[in-house]
Amino acid sequence: MKYLIIVILLFILFSLGSAMFYLVKGKGQSQNTVRFLTVRVALSVLLFLFIILAAYMGWIEPHQPNFLNRP
Amino acid sequence: MSHDITHDEIAHDHHDHDHKPKGFVKRWLMTTNHKDIGTLYLIFAFAMFIFGGAMAMVIRLELFQPGLQFVEPDFFNQMTTMHALIMVFGAVMPAFVGLANWMIPMMIGAPDMALPRMNNWSFWILPFAFAILSSTLFMDGGAPAGGWTMYPPLVLQGGHNVAYLVFAVHLMGISSIMGAINVIATIMNMRAPNVGYLNMPLFVWTWLITAFLLIAVMPVLAGAVTMLLTDRYFDTSFFNAAGGGDPVLFQHIFWFFGHPEVYIMILPAFGVISEIIPTFARKPLFGYVSMVYATAAIAFLSFIVWAHHMFSVGMPLGAELYFMYATMMIAVPTGVKVFNWVATMWKGSMTFETPMLFSLAFVILFTIGGFSGVMMALAPVDLQYHDTYFIVAHFHYVLVTGAVFAIIAGAYYWLPKWSGHMYNERLGKIHFWWSTISVNVLFFPQHFLGLAGMPRRIPDYSTQFAEFNMWSSIGGFAFGLAQVFFIYIVWKTVRGGEKATAEVWEGAKGLEWTVPSPAPYHTFEDFGPVDLDKMAHGKTH
Amino acid sequence: MSEASKDQYYVPHLAKWPIVGSIGLTVTVLGAINLLNSENPGTPWVMYLGLAIIIWMMFGWFGEVVKESEERLYNTQVDTSFRMGMIWFIFSEVMFFACFFGALFYARNFSVPWLGGEGTGLATNEVLYPGYEGVWPTNGPLDLGGQFTLIDPYHLPLVNTLLLLASSVTITIAHHALRANNRKQTVIWLIATVLLGAIFIFYQAEEYVIAYQEYNLKLSSGIYGSTFFMLTGFHGMHVTLGAIMISVITVRVWRGHFRPESHFGFEAVAWYWHFVDVVWLGLFIFVYII
Repeated sequence: MKYLIIVILLFILFSLGSAMFYLVKGKGQSQNTVRFLTVRVALSVLLFLFIILAAYMGWIEPHQPNFLNRP
Repeated sequence: MSHDITHDEIAHDHHDHDHKPKGFVKRWLMTTNHKDIGTLYLIFAFAMFIFGGAMAMVIRLELFQPGLQFVEPDFFNQMTTMHALIMVFGAVMPAFVGLANWMIPMMIGAPDMALPRMNNWSFWILPFAFAILSSTLFMDGGAPAGGWTMYPPLVLQGGHNVAYLVFAVHLMGISSIMGAINVIATIMNMRAPNVGYLNMPLFVWTWLITAFLLIAVMPVLAGAVTMLLTDRYFDTSFFNAAGGGDPVLFQHIFWFFGHPEVYIMILPAFGVISEIIPTFARKPLFGYVSMVYATAAIAFLSFIVWAHHMFSVGMPLGAELYFMYATMMIAVPTGVKVFNWVATMWKGSMTFETPMLFSLAFVILFTIGGFSGVMMALAPVDLQYHDTYFIVAHFHYVLVTGAVFAIIAGAYYWLPKWSGHMYNERLGKIHFWWSTISVNVLFFPQHFLGLAGMPRRIPDYSTQFAEFNMWSSIGGFAFGLAQVFFIYIVWKTVRGGEKATAEVWEGAKGLEWTVPSPAPYHTFEDFGPVDLDKMAHGKTH
Repeated sequence: MSEASKDQYYVPHLAKWPIVGSIGLTVTVLGAINLLNSENPGTPWVMYLGLAIIIWMMFGWFGEVVKESEERLYNTQVDTSFRMGMIWFIFSEVMFFACFFGALFYARNFSVPWLGGEGTGLATNEVLYPGYEGVWPTNGPLDLGGQFTLIDPYHLPLVNTLLLLASSVTITIAHHALRANNRKQTVIWLIATVLLGAIFIFYQAEEYVIAYQEYNLKLSSGIYGSTFFMLTGFHGMHVTLGAIMISVITVRVWRGHFRPESHFGFEAVAWYWHFVDVVWLGLFIFVYII
């Protein structure tokens, strides 16, 4: 599950990077920058929903500090 | 204005712009001219070179004989630390940025750097940054003394100077990042319309790749020193094992910056040498495209080999092996470069003017430095050399006879273009032989000292090292004096002397040789297509 | 509008702001150094003075650029230079955050487990820190700062994630609106973005107060506190900066700056905002959840 989350994060980074590329390449004329940014936002929302689902289903558990067994 | 302006009108318009701004403040503090900013960078770098060199003289004076004669051990440590910081960030890097400012727009047919205001700011941060850093020399507790690598926990014991050090490094980082952004934007966006990437001179290529390295690693250094700052003043535990951190973490982050940093200092040097050797061998550069690929390969490899600086610190065995083999791979693209330079000279009709002499010395002496680098890449034997004078000899061979020699070669090569006067060839040759002999007397014995076990960063040493240290110090003083002589040569050239032609060097290729000497205040203002035949690699491959 | 400017790369003359910026930076830094080094720091007037100079410089400098831009002095080539400047600036920011994420990665995967006895750390663990289990999150074997409670990722951080995500959506809507030359819509959605950003910063501050006052989670709480506060803190600073930039852009759109086919200032800021949001997603996942 953790890895799936990281993979989606990588996709988000990729679309963000593509948007950056077209920021220079398209010189503001083409639709590509906006399109990739939209993809980026959509993926992020997807990831967010997935995290909530995973937490609800108990697939991932937040870490907790372990202060037992102190010297 | 309408669009049917005649060419004459434009030319006239430009002529008006040609007047340099009047008054010191307008001309130098507020300039946006790439040539003025280049000059500022070069003067600043040279001043820092002398300042850092003076510290090296203190070091060599103390090491002239065993025992403590002249300075306190703590002051000695301040000298080694500040010498390195000033030479790396104040002398070598700004000198190359100065060369980039002067030459890149002229080499690609651009009217100026892409972002001229920011160009001014990149330079004008530097004097302030070094004033902040150097001010610690006059304070209670003195300057940083933990070595230029700033390893915790030692550097954090520096007292008040930690904050000065960290913020000075931040300012230098800001300056470098802005300078690098400017170089990239200039090269990618400001080439004359008919100049493609594979028409660019190699100096431009090496600087493009260097600029990428700068942008990638200077923020990492900023992050590392920020963690030092919070560890020192805000009780964080990044480098404190008691809190779950690790001092070795700093070394990893530092060298992730530090290894690309050493290529930041040498790649533009490769570029300068690749300009000079073809001119004086009167042959085109051998293997231009392979030079470009080799530069890119070296840059890529520089990101994945950082821990070879840390073999003795304790790493998993697999990591030691990986970093050892990855490091040795760098010898391949570097070898491509050295063989290409030699092949360029093969059967050329060579002449040996001062820039060429310095370039030849670069090829030979840098290769010696490269070889000692390969020796240290071997993890098992590195345990013997680590932190001895062997490493001192190694990085001075690649930085002094490498980077600094390339800067001096470039200065002689382009000085007629900058000043409009030829330097005195006889004095130049004297400077060359004086420097080359003394620098070898200075650094070659340090190999033996290191192999025999003399540690670096110490003010006193065991008596069996006495003789080599004395030789080394004598070489050091002679080399220092030679650079004062260099000031005299440059000063004399700028003030007057034989007028230089536009071409300066017989048959030299490159757009910079198509403009008059001295180069006019504004060049390539019409920003039109350039004559590709005048460029060394103007033809398609 | 001058046609001649289309053919010429605009090279400004006599930049007075850079030297002001250098002085501002130096005064700020000297103020900060004094503050850090003094035993009883008073009000850091020197630092405030420096920051004021920097803000003055930014208004002056950017004002000059905006004026020149609206005078149509910049051709497409100048525009491309600005674009390259912006993306490589953002790339340097990415590397800055990468440095701190790297420190987090190293602490979690190497230094803490080694202190707990993994790998070659067995002797260290047995001799120096017997009984210490290298489990994340931790304040280290010597229990620096005392025990702390974690921020529950599914309360404030979750709300914050939602806020920032929503702000990315609103700025994307604004972007589309500007392309359609619908200025009123653009301004409305930009204001929404700034508001969402402001609420985010407010909640982030709230979270810090709770962490310090109730959870005993501090900057000095070992490696967990260090990485937690440094990562979220630098991110918060970037959100603040981004919100200020969007505010400026909103005013400019309001005043009729930009055109549907040419609005680099807007795009640069929008891109910066997206970058800040993605960094937050990384933080939410690696700092709070996993």
